[in-house]
Amino acid sequence: MKVKVGIMSFAHLHADSYAHCLLSNPRAEFVGIADHDLQRARQKAGQYGVQAFDSYESLLASDVQAVIICSENVRHAPLAQMAAAAGKHILCEKPLMTRLEDGQAMLAAARAAGVQLFTAFPCRFSPAFQQLRAMVQAGEIGDLLALRGTNRGVNPGGWFNDPELAGGGAMMDHTVHVADLMRLLTGQEITEVYAETNNLMYHGNFDDTAMLTLTFERGIFATLDSSWSRPRTFPTWGDVTLAVYGTRGVIEMDMFAQYLRHYDDRVGRIRQVFWGDNIDALMIDEFLRAVAGESAPTLATGDDGYRAAAVAIAGYESVRRGEPVPVAYNRER
Amino acid sequence: MVRVGIIGLGTMGRQHAEAYRQMDDVQISAVFDHHPERAEAFAQEFGTTMARNIDEFLQGCEIVDICTPTYRHAEHALAAIEAGKAVVCEKPLARTLQECERIVDAVRQHNTLFMPAHVLRFFPEYRTAHQMVKAGALGTIAAVRMRRGGDFPLTKSDWYAAFEKSGGIIMDLIIHDLDWVRWTLGEVERVYARSLTFRNLPHLDYTLVTMRLRSGAIAHIEGTWCDPGGFRVSFEICGDAGMVEYDSAQMVALRVARRAEGDQTGGVEVPESPAVQNPYYLELRHFIDCYRTGNQPEISVEDGFEAVRLTLAAIESARTGKVVRL
Repeated sequence: MKVKVGIMSFAHLHADSYAHCLLSNPRAEFVGIADHDLQRARQKAGQYGVQAFDSYESLLASDVQAVIICSENVRHAPLAQMAAAAGKHILCEKPLMTRLEDGQAMLAAARAAGVQLFTAFPCRFSPAFQQLRAMVQAGEIGDLLALRGTNRGVNPGGWFNDPELAGGGAMMDHTVHVADLMRLLTGQEITEVYAETNNLMYHGNFDDTAMLTLTFERGIFATLDSSWSRPRTFPTWGDVTLAVYGTRGVIEMDMFAQYLRHYDDRVGRIRQVFWGDNIDALMIDEFLRAVAGESAPTLATGDDGYRAAAVAIAGYESVRRGEPVPVAYNRER
Repeated sequence: MVRVGIIGLGTMGRQHAEAYRQMDDVQISAVFDHHPERAEAFAQEFGTTMARNIDEFLQGCEIVDICTPTYRHAEHALAAIEAGKAVVCEKPLARTLQECERIVDAVRQHNTLFMPAHVLRFFPEYRTAHQMVKAGALGTIAAVRMRRGGDFPLTKSDWYAAFEKSGGIIMDLIIHDLDWVRWTLGEVERVYARSLTFRNLPHLDYTLVTMRLRSGAIAHIEGTWCDPGGFRVSFEICGDAGMVEYDSAQMVALRVARRAEGDQTGGVEVPESPAVQNPYYLELRHFIDCYRTGNQPEISVEDGFEAVRLTLAAIESARTGKVVRL
C-alpha cells in the first residue's frame, strides 16, 4: 500500500526537493498540489505530473493520508490546523511557527485530531551528524563543554525578506536547524538566548545577520551564526557546521563538505557539486513510514519544531531587550 | 648600532631575538631572565651578556623589549620607561586596567617611544584583510568571525593556567583578534561572552565572544585552548559587496610530514607559511625604524590599553552572564 501524499503550497523552495523525493520513493503516491497561488499549483502539478487542486479544502477532501506544508512561515499554523482537522498527518516545513501561540495551536490541533505532526529537519538524517552524535554518546570526546554552530546562507529573497510573511529575517529562517541538532546532540533544552542582529548586508527592514549565544540546562554554552551572509558569488547555497568541544577532544562537522569544486567557464563561476547522501530523501522516507504506522526514530516531532522555533523567537526578544532572555517554551501551555 | 635589551627569555623572547639577529643595525646588548641558567644559555647562543639584575640590564641597552609573563609587564615597563628607554612590550599591555593606566601615564609623562607588540597586525594575511576592509573592497561590513587556538599552552611555570597571572584565554589569546577587530572596524559598543575560564577545568579553556561595534557590525571571536588538533587560525569578513575567508588549516603553502625516528606508523605534520620576513621581524623592524626616525609606531600605548579593556569587558561578561557596554 502506497502512502498518498499532497503538498500544500510551493512557496518554500524546499517543496521542489520534497516533490522529487516523493516521486522517487516507491512507498509514496504523490497525489497532488494545492496552493493559494492557483497558477503556481497548476504549473507545479504539470511539472510533476500530479493533480492540481483548486483549493486547500479540495486537497484535504481527497483521500491523501498526509500532507507536506511548504507555505510561507506565517501560514504554517492555519494550514496545519486545517490539515489536522481533516485527519491528515503532517510534515511541516521549518520554522514550525513564528509565534509561540501559533505553535501551541498547531500541537493542540494535531493532538485533538489524533494525527502525527512532524517538522522538516532533514539535517538530523545527515550521516555526518549521525556519526557525530554516536561518537559523542559513546563518550569519545568526554563530557560536552561547548558547541559552535553555523547555518549561513545566501539571501533567499522573495517573501523571506518580508517579515509579514516570514515572521522575521535570517534569524527566523536559519536558527532552527542547528538549534534542533544541538538539542538532539546534548539531550538538553536551551534555557537562555542572547542575540545580536543587523541588516548591513541588504539594508532592508529585516535582519540579514544574526549571532545567537545559547545556554543549555546543564551549563553547556554555544553560539549559532544564522546569517544570510554568503555573498551572491558563493559557490553553494550556504552551510551547516557544528563544532563540539569535550573534555577529551573536539569533533568538527561541516555537514555539506562532500562536494567537487567545479570551475565552470560556461557560467563564469565556481560551484560546489554535492555528492553526499540526499538527506531530504531520507527524511521523506521516514515520514512515509511513520504515516504507514511504523516507528520514526529520527524524524523531528512537532514539539521538536516548536522548541527550536522558540529559540529563534527568544532571539528576537533578546534583540528587543538588549540582554539575554529565558526561552519561553511553556508560557501558555 | 641600536642596542636592544630583551627581558623574559621564553618563547617570545627567543622569537624576538631571532628577528633582531637578522638586523644589521641592531645589537642585542643585554638579556635578563629570572631563571639565570636560562639567561646564561640564551646569552651564549645570541652572543650577548646576561645582566645580573634589572638595573644592570637597563644600563646595558637603549631599547627595552619586554617578553615576560603578562603579570610582570607593568613592573618591567614602568622601570624601563622611568629609566628613559624606548620600550616595546609584548601583548597584553598589562594584566589589569590600573596597571595599563599607570603605563599610559608614564609614557605620556616621559614622552616615551612605546609600542605594545600586537604582532597580528604584522601578519600578512591579517594585514591584507585589514587593508581590503579599509579600501572598501568588501563594502559595508556586517559580520566578522575569527577563530584562534589549539591545545593548552604548557610552560615550565605553568603561568598560563593561573588566571590571575595570564588572564586566561580571553586576555592572553584572543586579545589578538579583539585588537584586530578594533583596528579594522573601529570601536566596540558592547560585549557578550561565554567561557570555560571559571570552571576550574585543568588545562582546558574555551571562549565564544560576540561584540557589537559602533558601526553596527557584529564580531564573533572563538578562542580555544582545548583542541588537540593543533594550532589553527581562521577568519571571515562579510560585507555587502563580498566576503573574504582565511583558514590556516586549509591554505597551506608547505606541508611537512615527518615519520618519527624508529616509528613506522605515525608522524608529526607541520604546516608552514614561508615568507621572506616573518611577522615578528616586520613588527620589530617597524619599531627600530621608529626609534631611528622619531616617527610614532603604528600601534600606540592607547591601543594596548583599549585591547586590554576589551578583554576585561569580555571576561566580566563571561563571569557575570551579562552584556557589558563600553
